[in-house]
Amino acid sequence: MKRTLIATAAILALLASALYAFGDIARPKPTPKSLLYSGLTITTDPKAYEARLVISESTLKNLQEAGARNGGGAALTQQIMHSSNRTIMAGLFMFLAISFAGIWFARSNQRRNTKAIAAVLLVAVIFGIGTIMVRANAGPPGYIRWQNLPQALKDGKETSGGVSIEVVPGDDNMKLIIPMRKSSKPGEE
Amino acid sequence: MERVENISVGGWCVPEKRGRSLVSAKAFAVMIVAATLFSAAVASWLPLQISIVTVFLFAGPHNWFEARYFLMRLPARFGRSRNFFMVAFAGIGLLTLAYVSLPALYYANVWSGANWPNAIATWNTLMVFWISGLVLMRGQQKANHDWFWVLPVAFALCSLNWLSPELFSLGIVYVHPLVALWFLDRHLRRTKPEWLRTYRRCLMCLPLLLGLMLWQLSRTTPLVDDNGLFWRITQHAGAELLPRVSSHMLVSTHVFLELLHYGVWIFALPLIGATGAIWSVKSIPVANHSRGFPKLIGAFLICGLLGVALLWFGFSANYTLTRDIYFTIAMAHVLAEAPFLLRMI
Repeated sequence: MKRTLIATAAILALLASALYAFGDIARPKPTPKSLLYSGLTITTDPKAYEARLVISESTLKNLQEAGARNGGGAALTQQIMHSSNRTIMAGLFMFLAISFAGIWFARSNQRRNTKAIAAVLLVAVIFGIGTIMVRANAGPPGYIRWQNLPQALKDGKETSGGVSIEVVPGDDNMKLIIPMRKSSKPGEE
Repeated sequence: MERVENISVGGWCVPEKRGRSLVSAKAFAVMIVAATLFSAAVASWLPLQISIVTVFLFAGPHNWFEARYFLMRLPARFGRSRNFFMVAFAGIGLLTLAYVSLPALYYANVWSGANWPNAIATWNTLMVFWISGLVLMRGQQKANHDWFWVLPVAFALCSLNWLSPELFSLGIVYVHPLVALWFLDRHLRRTKPEWLRTYRRCLMCLPLLLGLMLWQLSRTTPLVDDNGLFWRITQHAGAELLPRVSSHMLVSTHVFLELLHYGVWIFALPLIGATGAIWSVKSIPVANHSRGFPKLIGAFLICGLLGVALLWFGFSANYTLTRDIYFTIAMAHVLAEAPFLLRMI
């Protein structure tokens, strides 16, 4: 018992020292901050003299609020990514959780527990598949909606799709970037 | 030899107490459903206003009823459960002290705001370990129960907590009101098992109702939190942590759950006779035992009533400040629910 305690204390001390390890020495380059996700419709107006970017009052208000919030706190993923200590602690506890789950699994021989474990594993698999689907953009990617933009512009029709409103440093003009994929026609390659 | 832990654990083991309720099962179910629907409606309609009124009226009394209920569940002699209660009371005291001291140290500039998430994460971790320890100790008292599974679950919760301490704390804010429903379930199981099926059927409506509320309120415009009080209420419900979620939906959901919480402690449990005659200390084992402390318990309950009146006075004088102080100190009653709920499992 005493040896186990000493060994456990030594391992915990070793793991605690890992808190001071900073693996990400290189500072990441500043990237544009995504403030808001909204919708965008592109259409033509043969009578107009100037291009117009029309924003509804509601969207503008949301944009202002998002801007104000962005000054106060970072997004969840950014918080996690920029806190190596907390990530290490989370990883450590996840390691302990899986380890003790394994011990529990080995200890339990009862049929009821096996069913419970099977149920937990099933739920974990379902969540895992769900996560993969979400992370993998199981839905159609955003650029699909913009594929018919050139033809729609020629025909004078509207095209709608999602748009991420970003804020970048500097004083450049507003820029509207449409995701277009080159369609490889037969004989072009 | 009778197990010491089963002696004087409260009134629910006494057969004659089973017929004490003031209403029938059907009337009880109708009242639960009606109160739940009414709570959902008013919480969705006027979330900020209802939040203010609800906390003003019920925050103090529900704590008093809860304290009285816990006193009824406290055995006159700890016996084999001495270690369990020692760990429970030490944890409640130390964790509450630490929780109250966190903002105090912050405002005293002992640490910067950048370390706030780490402090919260540490506190949450200690709380999870404390509850896990109590679960394991309780498991040792029950034969044929292997509660070792609590360790991997606790470590997994700690892992989630360190990924996002603020969201974990927000989870506690939303889960805590539901614990009252668990208390009611355990109480009915012991005292009125014939009501349990009706109650659980009513309970099954809750996820549906919550889903309906979330669906209806998810597209509502954010609440106007242009003054300090409204801002605090929206922050408490998680508006800053979940900026893409409608603050109307968050506050309404939180107020709805709080209304259920207060309803269980102030109305449902007394209605089925769980708290006994509130003016009498005879139903409290620690007071009624031959070597008990009836005067001390009586004085404690009277001081509690004075505390409720003081809280009402504080809300009337400075609602915002009193609300902040209340929700900080009220962590004690959140923690106290854990050991007493475990004693009922």
